[in-house]
Amino acid sequence: MELYELNLRDAIAGLRDKKFSASELFDSCKARIDSCEGKIHAFITRTDSTPQPCANPSGLLAGIPTVLKDNLCTRGIRTTAASKILGEWRPPYDATAWKSLKEAGAILMGKVNMDEFAMGNTCGNSAFGPTHNPNDISRVPGGSSGGSAAAVSAGYVPFSLGSDTGGSIRQPASFCGVYGLKPTYGMVSRYGLISYGSSLDQIGPFARTVEDLQVIMSVISGHDPMDSSSFRDRPHDFSRKDDFSLKGKRVALVKEFQDFTLDAPIAEAMAKTRKILEDEGAIITEISLPVVARYAVACYYALAMSEAHTNLERYDGVRLGYTVKDAPGIKEMFERVRSYGFGSEVKARIIAGTCLTEPTRCEEYYVAATKVRTLIAQEFTRAFGETEFILQPVTPSLPGKIGEPEEDAMKGYETDLYTLPVNLAGLPGLSFFTGYAGSLPVGLQLIGPRWSDSDLLNTGIILERHLGTPKIANGGEC
Amino acid sequence: MRLDAQQVNEIAQESRLLLTEQELDGAVRYINNFLDMLDRFKELDLKDVEPFSFAEALECPLRDDKVIPFTDTEAILHESGHVDGSYFKVPRIIEE
Repeated sequence: MELYELNLRDAIAGLRDKKFSASELFDSCKARIDSCEGKIHAFITRTDSTPQPCANPSGLLAGIPTVLKDNLCTRGIRTTAASKILGEWRPPYDATAWKSLKEAGAILMGKVNMDEFAMGNTCGNSAFGPTHNPNDISRVPGGSSGGSAAAVSAGYVPFSLGSDTGGSIRQPASFCGVYGLKPTYGMVSRYGLISYGSSLDQIGPFARTVEDLQVIMSVISGHDPMDSSSFRDRPHDFSRKDDFSLKGKRVALVKEFQDFTLDAPIAEAMAKTRKILEDEGAIITEISLPVVARYAVACYYALAMSEAHTNLERYDGVRLGYTVKDAPGIKEMFERVRSYGFGSEVKARIIAGTCLTEPTRCEEYYVAATKVRTLIAQEFTRAFGETEFILQPVTPSLPGKIGEPEEDAMKGYETDLYTLPVNLAGLPGLSFFTGYAGSLPVGLQLIGPRWSDSDLLNTGIILERHLGTPKIANGGEC
Repeated sequence: MRLDAQQVNEIAQESRLLLTEQELDGAVRYINNFLDMLDRFKELDLKDVEPFSFAEALECPLRDDKVIPFTDTEAILHESGHVDGSYFKVPRIIEE
């Protein structure tokens, strides 16, 4: 076994027991990246030309290589959000989540690809070109955190960070055959995360075992005075609980989703997982989420675009990123910088957000969406009075081919119905591996009430024991 | 169609975006389809519904009132193409 194949927990143990050195682990991961990257294109910026110094040789993650989605600020290291508009920007500060990893001793191998400003679900909407799925390089890795998922799937690193605004951790985790957690909103500081929809965005981890997700959550979760939406006084015990049992716990399927068409392997995975849960003593029930089923997609995009339009106002070419020098006035400068710097999907969402929040339309669309969001959150609160968890697909279909013509944008948005309600209600969601359909992995999703992240992960460990742990992907035959 | 090309172009200009003809065509289609999707909200009685907020966030947390110096202003200024001394310099805003 090569060192790059080790999962996080085994890599930590091997380093601690001096079975190999941090330098040997680094070299193995770097060689793996060198061998595969020509086909996978996960990176925007590599930082592994020489080993970065370890900030804490006695930390939990001392010497463990990792990569970050390129919307997480890294002091002195180019951060692009996969957009031309950020140019060669080198942030003057670290995102808190990265700072926590660094202080635990993690080593940064680089910044990885994503859909521009996290707007997309293929990782193809990037100014740096598409990333390929390591299980089948003709297919998309999912998005927006496609680079983070592909890097873990291909064995570049044992874990990575991404962000999830409407499914951007869970969907690529499912497409690439790794585990991904979208934590409860407020569990992980968003300080230093380049904002898309601030009330929806959440940073979370990818790894090749559920237990590895626990390790990372134990490092990155907690209150941060620099993020007023990170909550104080919340329990965050992410240790593995061997006595955790599903006996008597209720797991619900959503009634309104039962008539939707799923790719056969996803429907089969649902049946298989349901049986495992029953065998473990869980009670399978059904809940009704009619408001979620009918209104969540419209509500989500109305809010996400409105928030994106205000968040992206700051890119004017003055303080950072791409700029022009010869504009006759400030208005012309802003127009030239933004028209060149933003990609077409980002422009469309900015225009939509501007439209929805104009005084003449704000009440009808934006304010209405914030009220619909209240109804959706209330519906979930009621549902979690009747069940501990909800089991559902991550997406209705397996990953598509890169470059397939885009269907109508609104129809594409409808496929996010399984993931985005979780962000509207601020819930945690675990994307877990269930097996393979040919070369392609099949993932499903388990959702819990707010602050149930730890229980979700302990349930994930039980599921992993039955369903098996994903293999390192070798679609690129590297 | 609720918004024509001229109206969408005006909204784009408010956002400081200049669109090519092709981009404008796409944006008109996109925004009208999107507004159609949002029509669903009209099926709901939202009169007495409060806008969403996280239950835990009803109190606005304040940081301790203490100065935390940021000493690396050089790193900030270094990222701008419009610096004069220790200031950002932008094109003229007020007409002569």
